[in-house]
Amino acid sequence: MSLAVMGLLLVALATVPVWGSDYLVLFFMLFCFYLGLSQMWNLLAGYSGLISLGQQVFIGLGGYTMAVMTNYYGVNIWLSVFLGGVFSAAMALFMSLFIFRMKGVYFAIGTWIFAEATLIWFSNWEYVKYGMGLFVKPANPPSMTMIFYGAFITGVGAVVLVYILLRSRLGLGLMAMRDDEAVAETMGVEVFRSKLTCFVLAAFTTGLIAGVLYVFQVFIQPYKAFAIDWTVVLVFITIIGGIGTIEGPIVGTMIYVLLSQLLAEYMSVSLFILGAIAIIVILVAPNGIMGTLSEKLGFEILSPRRQ
Amino acid sequence: MFDLAQPVLNGILLGGLYALIAIGMSMMFGIVKLVNLAHGDMMILSSYLALVFSTWLGINPFFVLALTMPVMFVVGYLFQGILINRVLGKAMEPPLLVAFGMSIILQNFLLMVFTPDARSIITDLATLSIVVTEYLSISVLYLVNFFAGLLVIVLLYFFFQKSYLGRAIRAASDDEVAARLMGINTRRTYGIAMGIAMMTAAVAGMLVGMTFTFYPHTGPQYLIVAFGVVVIGGLGSIKGTFVGGFILAIAQLLGAYYFGPGIQLLSGYVVLLIVLAIRPQGIFGSV
Repeated sequence: MSLAVMGLLLVALATVPVWGSDYLVLFFMLFCFYLGLSQMWNLLAGYSGLISLGQQVFIGLGGYTMAVMTNYYGVNIWLSVFLGGVFSAAMALFMSLFIFRMKGVYFAIGTWIFAEATLIWFSNWEYVKYGMGLFVKPANPPSMTMIFYGAFITGVGAVVLVYILLRSRLGLGLMAMRDDEAVAETMGVEVFRSKLTCFVLAAFTTGLIAGVLYVFQVFIQPYKAFAIDWTVVLVFITIIGGIGTIEGPIVGTMIYVLLSQLLAEYMSVSLFILGAIAIIVILVAPNGIMGTLSEKLGFEILSPRRQ
Repeated sequence: MFDLAQPVLNGILLGGLYALIAIGMSMMFGIVKLVNLAHGDMMILSSYLALVFSTWLGINPFFVLALTMPVMFVVGYLFQGILINRVLGKAMEPPLLVAFGMSIILQNFLLMVFTPDARSIITDLATLSIVVTEYLSISVLYLVNFFAGLLVIVLLYFFFQKSYLGRAIRAASDDEVAARLMGINTRRTYGIAMGIAMMTAAVAGMLVGMTFTFYPHTGPQYLIVAFGVVVIGGLGSIKGTFVGGFILAIAQLLGAYYFGPGIQLLSGYVVLLIVLAIRPQGIFGSV
């Protein structure tokens, strides 16, 4: 039953360019972007115990790789997007040399400092035109419909990836780790390797989505691309929707995109409200909207559990 | 060789200010294991308060502290009492994320009230400097910052060692249950501790506001400074806080000296990441 509803919603989302207005296409494209990005943060914070405040590293890197490959080397735009994911994954491996020695709070702030360092690096780097930024100029600019499907495939793909991951052997290990890391390790779960795998996969997907996002935005600049604001939004979406559930980020993203469209001219007001909602959710219902609903009503739509 | 003396001297003086910025966060880290991600924004809030009071009343910014310190004490007490105390003790993430939410709320509140324009607190001290030699001069404002940092940290040290309240806070931190059995209201104690931490932020905010320009979004930059100082120096060590401040500030100023002002922040971050990777517990900290 619930699967049928999910299937219908998915078909509806996939066919937005057919039945929807230009505005709706834009709306659901934003939905797909934030859905995928927040699902990746959820994979890290909700399942792997890694609170990353540095996801903007991969957003900026994905976007910049796409722009540089397209502009400087004339690479096909979708191949450039893919390379953005590859570079982000490589960056995640490099970062892990430093930050995987840190735990908990140290990890959170370590990732953030890494992002700030990357921001300054890019804004002082001649190759990417310093802080002035780059306009993406592909030989054949893709149509809006093409970009929508780019967002749809990466965004929905991110949800599917998390679902498959959690039902795999790795996912079993992750959930065991979340419940008790020491016991899980004794039982043979490779804690370090599982966490690293998630971190690199999340970086790859985040870079990929960011590439598509900047194909749409056309202009990339370090102060925006590497800003902590990205991660702020992802944290709020996941907390409000329900951290550590696959449905959580879906609901949270819906709330965020609606709110940001309603208050499009008052960005600071919408962040203020989101911050307040997030704090109230942590205090009153720490499992978020979907976590609390499934606890009270006993249903789950996308359960990683085997029945 | 002589021209290196200037950035190193400035680094030492700036390090004192950095230690002052960090001490409130370090304190709460030690007492309730909270990394107050809103610490930088609280400090910038007090910079704005100092700016408003000093222009409104037309008095010297130093006297304004008599107003901003009590206000920040109340802000800290309520922040801890209403929000943080409720999520303490379960896991590490909820307090961290509540503070993160508070940080974003504060930034956007300041943006709505004060617009994104750069501000600074005007003082006569800013232009004064003591010329030592041809190669070396000391900014009076930096000197004031350094000694203010030293004074606040020494006062805090004696408060925690000698006063009943200071000992009660340490007792509540060491063993909450035992402290309660001894008749200490631990939750109220934590509130007072956060209030005191915010009073140090009020002093830091006023000095930062006089020394540098600030915007509603400057908070996180100082949060990272505070975190850097705590990490390099090690947790709960007064000496470490100072040394952490010196190392971070000297690293920044030498980076700026050799590679240009754009690299100032970057060289601080790189030193910080290296220390984190080699000695995650800090130079003076124990595991």
